[in-house]
Amino acid sequence: MSDGNALIRDKTAIAGIGTTEYVRDIGRTEQETSLEVIHEALADAGLAATDVDAIFKVETPGEASISELAVARNLGLPNLRAWGGTDYGGGAACGPIVHAVMAIATGMASVAVAFRARNRGSGTRPWSKTGARVGSNMAFESPYGLVGPVQQLALVARRYMHEFGVTSEQFAQVSVTQRAHAARNPRAFFRDPITVEDVLASRMIADPLHLLDCSLETDGACAIIITSAERARDLKQMPVFISGASQGMGPRHYMMNGLMYKDDPFDMPPAYAAKDVYACAGMGPGDIDVAQFYDVFSPMVLWQLEAYGFCKPGEAGPFVEEGRIDWPAGELPVNTHGGSLSEAYVHGFNHVLEGVRQLRGTSTCQVENAEVALVAAAAVVPTSALILRR
Amino acid sequence: MTMLADRPLPEITPLTEPFWAAARERRLVMQRCDDCKAYRFPPEVGCYACSSMNSAWEPVSGRATLYTWTAAYPPLLPYFAERAPWPIAVVQLDEGPRLTTNIVDVPYEEYVFGMALQADFQQLDDEVALVVFRRAD
Ligand SMILES: [Zn+2]
Repeated sequence: MSDGNALIRDKTAIAGIGTTEYVRDIGRTEQETSLEVIHEALADAGLAATDVDAIFKVETPGEASISELAVARNLGLPNLRAWGGTDYGGGAACGPIVHAVMAIATGMASVAVAFRARNRGSGTRPWSKTGARVGSNMAFESPYGLVGPVQQLALVARRYMHEFGVTSEQFAQVSVTQRAHAARNPRAFFRDPITVEDVLASRMIADPLHLLDCSLETDGACAIIITSAERARDLKQMPVFISGASQGMGPRHYMMNGLMYKDDPFDMPPAYAAKDVYACAGMGPGDIDVAQFYDVFSPMVLWQLEAYGFCKPGEAGPFVEEGRIDWPAGELPVNTHGGSLSEAYVHGFNHVLEGVRQLRGTSTCQVENAEVALVAAAAVVPTSALILRR
Repeated sequence: MTMLADRPLPEITPLTEPFWAAARERRLVMQRCDDCKAYRFPPEVGCYACSSMNSAWEPVSGRATLYTWTAAYPPLLPYFAERAPWPIAVVQLDEGPRLTTNIVDVPYEEYVFGMALQADFQQLDDEVALVVFRRAD
């Protein structure tokens, strides 16, 4: 392995984390919960609001986001030296942190906040606001009934089953494994164990995907404090160093159904983010002790296992079925908090928090002696990834 | 206030108008790069294969094979919810590009990978004719 990217590798650290409860209806606005979790993350780090000089947030196509102006005013910040939104929703689970790393490693800022608040339990589904006239590539999709992410994913999932012999039982195993992890996690929304038979018996949402192959719809918010490795060493928590940070889009991409326009729909963004995040960290798949993969629908975990090099294309189905992502026995425990399938749907920010907990030694499915964690954002949209180490 | 969709219809732009104009005449056309001859769909200003901004619309055969499919169940937009489960297909034209579409004369249980299909047209209003597919003879 190479020595990695000397400008980025281990130059910054996650110093604090904050989260709300995860519930169906939190009863507060996304702006309120954003501020709450930022305060909590700052307290966790042992920093004051006035130490913050950078804010990075998530953008989602078709959705309003909370402005940095409002966050800065309401935190009482004297100045903001760097800010920005990173687009593509679940693909930006790590993206705002990637930008925070760049700002801090280059000296543009000293303490950055990355946050995501989403009321997707009490709020409306974005696709339900589809207008009477639809533009962009969706003009060639929505009139045929292809409107929501689950149908877009189902098209890719069916082709994946056909090309590689992957089964619905193997998709279901992802949900079953993650529910077993969630059963130990008091924050998790769903904690009752389920079986493969339960997943297959749950109602069909978009053939071949059943209800229990799909993410939760919850309200919640998460915040993360990023600062220099040097400064983090003097703060309250054991620093979690950011060894690798990357974004990746790949060629000729649209949003989720765009995969169907490419010559090879399995030429997905995470393969590009993987190459760069490993190069940045000077590491490979063999160095990873635990992984948190974006999992809005169960097949997405399989695609990330392949893209991040834990198995060959088409081999993730058997990999999952053999228990290799299970905690504690599997070689690569995945989504040890329960993920979007069982803990909460916060656009993958809760996955970053779980990566941090694993390295602090505070996960409810703690991987013994975990030293390196991979966190990866959504597989079928322009994506992002982090390699964290203690 | 945006009007919410019953069945959403395409927004027709100067870039996409040639596609929809041809569909109104029951013809299927595809945008093709003048320089490297790559077909591209959906329509774009520049070529994904060679970056050229020169392109023309060319008739294609309408012959295609079934590439993948799903059936959508509620919750859905009202039009599709009332008709659920609602089948959606992706087909690959013999010329290469893939389209999202509906297959109009094949029961869902009979969908098979690679099934031979032929383009047809479904006039929804004065402006919009959707490109749909039927089983090829
Ligand atoms: Zn070209």
